[in-house]
Amino acid sequence: GAGLRAAVPGRTPPVGPGPCRVLYARCFGPPPQGRLLRKEQLLAVARQVASHCHLQQASSGRPAALTLPEDPAPLHTAPGGLFQLPPGDPFPGRVTVTWLAATAVAFALVCEPHENLALAEVALRLLATRLMAVLRPPGPAVLLRPDAADLLLDRLLPHGQLLFLSQNFLQALERDGARRAAR
Amino acid sequence: AVDCLQRLHLVLAASKSPRRLDARLVELLQAVLCSPKCPEQIQLLCAAILREMAPCDGLRLSCHRIHDTKLLSLVSSVLLAQGEEKAAVSAVGQRVVKALEGRLPEGQSSRYLLPVLSNVISLSPEALTEEQINVVSKKMADWLRYASTQQGVAQPSGGFFSNPRTRQPGPVTEVDGAIATDFFTVLSLGQHYTEDQWLNMQTFSMLRKWLLCYGGKEMNTPNSGDKSEMDRSAMSVVSTSSTSSRLLPPRERLREKAFEYCQRLIEQSNRQALKKADGDLQKACLIEAVTIMDIICKQDSSYVYRAASFLKILHGRINGDATYARALLPIAQFFLNHGEMAAVDCDAIYKHLFTDIPAQLFHNSSLAFEFVLFCKDNSRLFTETSSIFRQRFPNLFKFLAWNSPPLIAEFVDILPFLLDVGTAIEIFHLLLDLPCLTAALDVQMRSSSLPSAERAACDPAVKPATCLEAFRNPLYRSAFQYLLRHAFISSFLTARRLIPLRQLLGSLASSPRVMQCADTVPVLLELFFSVVAEFADASLINQLVVLVLQRSDQLYEIPAFKDDVHRVLSSQLVMLCKLRPALVVELSKELLEFSGTVSNIQNKEPIFTHVVWAIGEYMSVSYDKRCTVEQINRFFETLEAVLFEVTQVRPQASVPNYAPRAITVLMTALTKLAARSQDLIPRVSLFLSKMRTFVQSPAVTSVYCEEDREEILTRATELMNLLKMPSVAQFVFTPSVDVAHTRFQKEVNDTLPSALRIVTRLLEPAPGFVPG
Repeated sequence: GAGLRAAVPGRTPPVGPGPCRVLYARCFGPPPQGRLLRKEQLLAVARQVASHCHLQQASSGRPAALTLPEDPAPLHTAPGGLFQLPPGDPFPGRVTVTWLAATAVAFALVCEPHENLALAEVALRLLATRLMAVLRPPGPAVLLRPDAADLLLDRLLPHGQLLFLSQNFLQALERDGARRAAR
Repeated sequence: AVDCLQRLHLVLAASKSPRRLDARLVELLQAVLCSPKCPEQIQLLCAAILREMAPCDGLRLSCHRIHDTKLLSLVSSVLLAQGEEKAAVSAVGQRVVKALEGRLPEGQSSRYLLPVLSNVISLSPEALTEEQINVVSKKMADWLRYASTQQGVAQPSGGFFSNPRTRQPGPVTEVDGAIATDFFTVLSLGQHYTEDQWLNMQTFSMLRKWLLCYGGKEMNTPNSGDKSEMDRSAMSVVSTSSTSSRLLPPRERLREKAFEYCQRLIEQSNRQALKKADGDLQKACLIEAVTIMDIICKQDSSYVYRAASFLKILHGRINGDATYARALLPIAQFFLNHGEMAAVDCDAIYKHLFTDIPAQLFHNSSLAFEFVLFCKDNSRLFTETSSIFRQRFPNLFKFLAWNSPPLIAEFVDILPFLLDVGTAIEIFHLLLDLPCLTAALDVQMRSSSLPSAERAACDPAVKPATCLEAFRNPLYRSAFQYLLRHAFISSFLTARRLIPLRQLLGSLASSPRVMQCADTVPVLLELFFSVVAEFADASLINQLVVLVLQRSDQLYEIPAFKDDVHRVLSSQLVMLCKLRPALVVELSKELLEFSGTVSNIQNKEPIFTHVVWAIGEYMSVSYDKRCTVEQINRFFETLEAVLFEVTQVRPQASVPNYAPRAITVLMTALTKLAARSQDLIPRVSLFLSKMRTFVQSPAVTSVYCEEDREEILTRATELMNLLKMPSVAQFVFTPSVDVAHTRFQKEVNDTLPSALRIVTRLLEPAPGFVPG
């Protein structure tokens, strides 16, 4: 069976010319059809996200480029949404993608059927906020800091598991992380 | 070192084909990963590189000798990324279960292990033995139900002088600050958490997956873990109080604790969270709790009665709260699955879901998406004619009208279930007016955000200048209400009333959201016709043809939209004619009127062209015995008048640019009709002979390009030649019905010209050309 596949591709740029790039992705299982195909699949997801992002920004009449706030705001009003990808295109099984767009990058979580989409949206917003805070300026910096992304994912989405984290649990997690880093 | 590792990772990740690393390097990476003093950042990088390399040849990593649970988790991530080998996955699973079963060394925490287990069972459910499943189920039940309700103690931090008498931490609280009233859940708050509380949170996080994987029919193996003292057959009458439940077999016990946990969560969702993020979590918890209850009831129907009454009360509590709307879906799903068994009347639940929710919350894109998925998963409900779901399909389309890009693919899947003889006409109108619906929803939203003083009805005598004014104008009210209806009304008369409103909404036609919706219509229309073709009877087909003609100029004024719709409608018109050629005779009045209106060539050229083609093709006794000579002559006269109008060269006035395709199809149709009513042949021939003059006149040469004029002339010549041999013409133009369904019936302008060319060559022997 396919493992939970939660990938977080950042890609640039959300609108405008230029191809889409997957800056970072993490999968939680072996690629059933090989490494190369896995890369192509992730790129396909990224392109879909870019397309949906572009369409949504057009329809909401929002200006394309937002200035990045100085403090890591929780991305409440950031464009985002849900869409499905049918079986075979690009993954063998049906998947649902939740995505969120910031200025230069977008984030996405690929969920299997039988996953809590409301929780996935919450988790994605959390991950995106934390990641944006850690990697400044956002964008290609994450290419050279996969450990930063991995650290966050191991904490907030361990082995791809969505967690029901209250704010208190979150704070406790981050305290633990800080304590470990200080050692 | 960090720098190099980061660069190495980048190189590996960026390359399409797998790079081979030196075997020594691979060994080094593994060694570094597992070395006890290694900083976390380096460990993460080594793991990332090894994962990127998967499948990795020199991998000698094994989880068996690792005792640090955090490292075990990290190493597992590398091992699980390797490949499909079930044995490897199983080995990781075994190691994790062993660690969970036994006592961990001092300072180690089990909380890093559950996510690994969760991943293992996703990849390979058979990785665990029956006994292991029972062992873990037992622990999960305990973690869910018996975690401490006291807050954890702060970890003593390094260099500080730790106070031997640490303050007693208080009890955990609810999300609204009140002291916790019952057992610990993910919605219990504390400053610090104990180990079992972490496990409680993680167990719930993976509970759904675990139940779906292992909660079903258990295998009766001889060494299934806990030998319960209760006879299995007496299980159903066992009371589910907590004392006796300890004697339940592990999986059933887990089910029970899970059920109680879900009940508690649902109760906890009634509190007002102090932090907004916790409020969001509450909603996600609610959805999860209801879903898990549904799963439990599927696995053990003895829970249905308790769950049903509980969820009915929940529904009553949240159905007025828009922020909880998403939770209404799993509740409805529960009742769809178990309502009958629970003998609960669920109609009110379904009605509210399908009436109020789409009307009020169409703009909530996450809700829209999940709602549509719900419909997809329960598509059989729409096929029952009297069902509540089916009657409210107009409401469903509001989701699509507002959130077109993510939902169009899902609607393509749902539409076939909505279509039948009863709904087809209504849905046809609905599809054509979908972008209007988007505009109307926009007006409705803007109107409702105005202060109430500005929302009063305005004077019907004053013509509204904007859509917002129109929304408050009583004369336009019913048109808006028709567009925004939530249930199936039917009748084309109501659709007529939309004409003035549609014009007024034209000011919104260039809004991106409206245009995105417009883009979905051609796809849906094609799907509509392909589905309808399968069940439509004569009456429906005829109705649709008439509607195609009527609606072709009652479309929302978006240029690309109109063109696309005309294109689709025209080809579908042909499809309907092929399906039922007799309609040409039956609808001759409507077709005469349509084909006789010259302006149609300008406004709806594709439809006009295809109508004329259909007339030429099917107005024949071979297709319908009722076709009379009078009818043929009448059509002839109408088409002749149009062609005359179109090819008149008035020296003073400029020649309007009629599509050349329209001219050729008119000529061809006239010829076909003449072949069947041979008195008309001289008239057509005379007309065709004048085409050379037409084509060569200066007014025409300035408007039509060389190719087009060439095409018109060639066609006219071919047709004239054909008419010189009336019996051949008759054969070519009136094939027997079975021949008609084979090679000749392809594209309108494709096969006929080639047939004509063959005949022409027969008539005008070219040197060296030998027929046959």
